[in-house]
Amino acid sequence: MSMMATSRAPQRLSRRAWLVQTTLVPLVLIGIWEVWAILAADPRAPAPTRVVESLIDLVVHGGLIMATLQSLGRVVSGFALALVIGVVLGILMGSIRWVRNLLDPIVESFRPIAPMAILPVAILWFGTGTPAALSIVSYAAFFPLLLNTVHGVSQVDRKLVLAARTMGVPRWRILTNVVLPASLPSILLGSRLAMGVAWTAIIAAELGVGAKSGGGGSGGIGAMMFIFYAYNIDLNAIVVCMIVVGVVALLIDRLFRLAERRLMPWRN
Amino acid sequence: MATDMTTTGQREVIAAAAAPLLPLTLVAAPRKVNMFRLLAAMRLFMALVSFVLFIGLWQLVATWVGNRVLLPSPVQVAIALYTLGVEGEIFEHALVSTTRLAISLAVSVVLAIPLGFAMGLSDRLNAYLDPFIELLRPISGIAWIPLALFIFGVGDVLPVFIMVYVAFFPLLLNTIAGVRGVDPKLLNAARTMGVRPAPMLMHVLVPAALPMVMVGFRLAFAGAWSAIIAAELIGSPNGLGFAIEWYRELLMSPKVFAFILVIGLVGYLCDLLLRALQRVLTPWIEGTELA
Repeated sequence: MSMMATSRAPQRLSRRAWLVQTTLVPLVLIGIWEVWAILAADPRAPAPTRVVESLIDLVVHGGLIMATLQSLGRVVSGFALALVIGVVLGILMGSIRWVRNLLDPIVESFRPIAPMAILPVAILWFGTGTPAALSIVSYAAFFPLLLNTVHGVSQVDRKLVLAARTMGVPRWRILTNVVLPASLPSILLGSRLAMGVAWTAIIAAELGVGAKSGGGGSGGIGAMMFIFYAYNIDLNAIVVCMIVVGVVALLIDRLFRLAERRLMPWRN
Repeated sequence: MATDMTTTGQREVIAAAAAPLLPLTLVAAPRKVNMFRLLAAMRLFMALVSFVLFIGLWQLVATWVGNRVLLPSPVQVAIALYTLGVEGEIFEHALVSTTRLAISLAVSVVLAIPLGFAMGLSDRLNAYLDPFIELLRPISGIAWIPLALFIFGVGDVLPVFIMVYVAFFPLLLNTIAGVRGVDPKLLNAARTMGVRPAPMLMHVLVPAALPMVMVGFRLAFAGAWSAIIAAELIGSPNGLGFAIEWYRELLMSPKVFAFILVIGLVGYLCDLLLRALQRVLTPWIEGTELA
């Protein structure tokens, strides 16, 4: 996006031309969708107008906001768990050679195992409630956090650490005052990536748990989508949920980018 | 890396030249001293140690839990893996999943790369299409599963559709970035020499954009491999994602764990394959950040 903005700037597009460019294709496609839905003559066919109606209905008395908040709460707590474990392990692996050599093979073996592959085990261990969903979110968020922390810590300028050590700074002060600030950009990047995959994972987990436990139990926006599919086939409501999933993902991404700019103004 | 290019004779010369710098124990070793091989051997040893420790720990916890449904021991999982392998069930499901993966990656390559070149070359096309793509991109492939279940039903099409969708965006965005990142000096030089559009595309643009496209391809694979498990688990009567959940419902945990291992292994092997493909197609980026 930033690349685009810079390449577009010298052309000095007028505001109106820019507005036309950005909205034309989406509007035309939404128009085609609406016409298709009218021609389909099937009351179940989703149409933009019906989706908007459904959105209002779900917000007012469908519990859409509660379901979204429930999913978000799980993502945030799962992310927090992964943040603690990932950053602590990442600092150890990044700064102590033998820890890294020891743990690297294990981490690399688990990495190609998709978060959803953990779901059956999570259901076996924790049942179909929140803990199962939480463990999948943590698992998904763990890898980007760990790998980026390791990368960040091992990239810290050796000279800074040596200088601090020469001046007699204790080890843990070196960690908090030298290593952590220097690896902050990597950790923040890892956090953004982790939050993105965590949000995808929670939808997958709630869908999966919903699908495999007869739709009951866990709640959240993923389960809500599955109920709209399995019980009262309401495609408009499913599309509403998809849009909410997209909007939340976008907001999470923007929030973390903003945090990166605020916390590290020297990077841009 | 340098050792690959030297002959055995040269290597001995290098080792001899380096001898005074090495610790005594290394010099005294009867075989040829090769620092790279020594380091690799050490790393292999550490990897072995960590696997042994991991499996030992697993065995301990499994003994302590004492419930093969909750946590089967490594031995039980190994036996399950062996039986599933002998009966051919592993290969059946793995073949189904990898075929779906290959088809979806092929479809998304056909869709995303030409579009990416067009959008990378034409600012106007990009300005019109980019908003729509950015509108769709935040909606994860997983979120399409309920709608896709309704449209395609349970079967082959659903996982392929989800994977094509997931693989499309990284491929497209990296192709656009690759085309836009082509050194303008190269383009101007070619233009000055009167290179026509078709050869320009084949001999200048494609090779210059290829490293980024390959990065996109590997990202696309990673996303698709993650999505296929979810798609098969929910909406398919076969494949690796189906198998883990099927055996979970039968409470045959050793087989669940065996199939999870297979998922990791197949994913790892596919990634190795892609790295090899990357080395063959774009050998010149070896050692850079894109590798």
